[in-house]
Amino acid sequence: MEVELIHRPGNTAARVSLQPGEVCTTESGAMIAMSGNMQIETTTHQKGKGSVLKALKRLVGGESIFMNHFEPLGGKGELWLGTALAGDMLVHELDNEQLIVQGSSFLASEQGVELDIGWQGFKSVLSGENIFWLTLTGKGKVVLSSFGAIYPVEVDGDYIVDTGHIVAFEQTLDFSITKAGKSWLHSFLGGEGLVCKFSGRGTVWCQSHNPQSFGSSLTPNLIARKA
Amino acid sequence: MYNLILTGKLEPGTNPRDALAGLAKLLKVDDAKAREIVRNAPVCIRRNTDAAMAERVVAAMKAIGIRIQLEPVAAAPAADGLAGTGVGTGVGTGVGTGEVASTAGAANAVSVAKTTNSAASAKPARPEQPSTSLKVIAGGKPAAANPVDKAQTPDSQQTAQAPHTPAAPESFKGFRYQLSGQPDYCFISVEIPAGETIKVEASAMASMTTNMLMKTRAKGGLSRFMSGESVFINEFTADTVPGEIGIAPGSPGDVKHLYLDNEEVFLQNSAFVASGMGVVAESKWQGFTKGFFSGESLFLIRCSGQGDLWFNTYGAMIEIDVAGDYVVDTGNIVGFTSGLDYDIQSVGGYKSLFFSGEGLVCRFRGHGKVWIQTRSVPAFASWANWYRPVKKK
Amino acid sequence: MKVEINGGQAFAHLQVELAPGESIVTESNAMSSMDANIDLTAQLNGGLVRGLLRKYLGGETLFISRFSNNTQEPRSLYLVQPTPGDIRCVDIDENGLFLQGGAFLACTPEVKLGVKWAGIVSFLAGEGLFKLYAHGNGKLWYGAYGALVDKEVDGEYIVDTSHLVAWQPGMELKLQLAGGLFSSIFSGEGLVTRIEGNGKITIQSRSLSGLGSWLNPKF
Repeated sequence: MEVELIHRPGNTAARVSLQPGEVCTTESGAMIAMSGNMQIETTTHQKGKGSVLKALKRLVGGESIFMNHFEPLGGKGELWLGTALAGDMLVHELDNEQLIVQGSSFLASEQGVELDIGWQGFKSVLSGENIFWLTLTGKGKVVLSSFGAIYPVEVDGDYIVDTGHIVAFEQTLDFSITKAGKSWLHSFLGGEGLVCKFSGRGTVWCQSHNPQSFGSSLTPNLIARKA
Repeated sequence: MYNLILTGKLEPGTNPRDALAGLAKLLKVDDAKAREIVRNAPVCIRRNTDAAMAERVVAAMKAIGIRIQLEPVAAAPAADGLAGTGVGTGVGTGVGTGEVASTAGAANAVSVAKTTNSAASAKPARPEQPSTSLKVIAGGKPAAANPVDKAQTPDSQQTAQAPHTPAAPESFKGFRYQLSGQPDYCFISVEIPAGETIKVEASAMASMTTNMLMKTRAKGGLSRFMSGESVFINEFTADTVPGEIGIAPGSPGDVKHLYLDNEEVFLQNSAFVASGMGVVAESKWQGFTKGFFSGESLFLIRCSGQGDLWFNTYGAMIEIDVAGDYVVDTGNIVGFTSGLDYDIQSVGGYKSLFFSGEGLVCRFRGHGKVWIQTRSVPAFASWANWYRPVKKK
Repeated sequence: MKVEINGGQAFAHLQVELAPGESIVTESNAMSSMDANIDLTAQLNGGLVRGLLRKYLGGETLFISRFSNNTQEPRSLYLVQPTPGDIRCVDIDENGLFLQGGAFLACTPEVKLGVKWAGIVSFLAGEGLFKLYAHGNGKLWYGAYGALVDKEVDGEYIVDTSHLVAWQPGMELKLQLAGGLFSSIFSGEGLVTRIEGNGKITIQSRSLSGLGSWLNPKF
């Protein structure tokens, strides 16, 4: 499976080239176009493994319960993937380490990558992200998506990320909810409120923009909906 | 009148990297695109430019260390001889690209060869009329917005040879325009000669000179009322002196320009941005099976006639040359050329229909171009739905 | 202070490196991530009255944040505006620069942020009674939704009111109808700003209200 990212970072699309026999698993609704010979199978679990329980867990994780598996028939095929919001994508090669991904950032994976729900404790509730996180393990390529540009930060010690800006982090990092700067008062008056603090050694991938901030600034221009 | 040729040579003592960065900044494209332009050198970056403008461009380019060669617009006989080379190069690169790219790429080579041939064959018959593909660049668009596949390379190669087309200024079709802010927030500025008029989608005007007069007209056809779009369209006319208008479509995304020469293009409902007066845009009912399920809307806009046409996307634009069949999610279709047949299908089995999240897809068959957008409008609308103010009872 | 604008036009954001002792002033809630030992203080800019004017009439927030590096090593932070779009860096001098409400992102501490009466006309156009006016001696970063496009105005020019982001002092802004009465109601253009004078203006290639009117029929 080869992945090429196009139009980064504004409205990134992933062009996935599959050889005969290769399967790409994607979040439901991610396909924007594909060659005519592509076969889709929709399941509640990963191909050949998993259970209904896992699917249910994925549902509460903010992901759709269903996954799509794309496989080219009779020759190679290509597949274009996109997301609902504008933004960047990241291709990461897993080599038996653990990656913790914010629920809605998962886009696609190669065979050989396992998805599971990771509960990050009550701090998840306050993090402004999805309450549930996906834990990716195994070997192979994964494609993650974001709102805004993605930048990696190598953490060695402590690092602060504002809520709503986390895409993924390595499992070697621990995170907690705290304030920005020294004072709780200033953190709130400065509009930062609660922030996430990462400790340890490892990489955290941040998204430059916060979808909630954008949504709120859009509100005055939208027509009202019924409650 | 001059054509400005980027020779690919630098002023002595210029650091190539600085020159490249300068060029990217000047043309408002990213570094990769700038590199591609330079790699294709010698390339014509601006055609039919008057002496004053040419001087300014040369000075600006010299400031960043890039040498520009001025080439007076050639007379007809000389041009004909040179046009032959243009064809040769166009075909050659086209085929080369086909080997690199996958299925879609192969189709590319074919289509490029075709356009080149038609351009060449058109020339002796109507030497004053530049062909469609040549016109795109002639409009002053320094860098097209399609880094998608190598499809652009043969195109720009071909146009690099194109300055030899005998395009006298008075026979110059279409308006001069410039695109900036590509690919995410494309902005169009169009120069309107005195007395000429441009049609612009309602509320898309962002700026203009003070001599532009606006007239609002109702669009034809009952279907307009049902399609959810504005039923009005604005016409801007430059009065006694030339004017300029800046157009900003509502949706964040890219813009594509075509010069229609009695051709037909189908656009998704809200993709129309602006056109010349010779282009007829009409809503076309897609029929129940095609329209009803397509999700995006019940209507396609059929554009035909002769003149400039600008259309936009939500998200970045990808141009796909279809040869055989290709599947596109209904929410990601921007437009397609006539010559393609399509039908709406579900993907996979019935389970996929309801649960895959892909819903229905559009399967294109035949030969032609499909433009797709990297983001889907229904998906964005369902996200934004949460941020709508709540109506109090 | 080293500041880079990354993320392209679509998602421009600032990567700031503060040397020991340096600080940067930003709009509220602009930080997306930072080294844990950078200090944040929230402050009223220029007193309560000016602050309130900025908030209620200038479209900005009451408090502004000041991020300071009080350690002995360089520290870095990332700053971002709430909407996607382009960001630009300008050198501010005593002549100053006018900004549309909400466009301000960050500045060096030497830049003074104030408000100026924008006229009742601006209020009618839904753009607030006051404009943000930055002057002093330093650098300022502002941004908008969409790409930023410069335009030299020589004499007069018309801009859709929701697309104007920044302009130099010395130009006069007037509001007028986009066309005749019928056109102005149904064209979707409504009121436009007529700019008279000589100087540089910056417009944004998209507007949130334009996005809204594109999106609303699709719900």
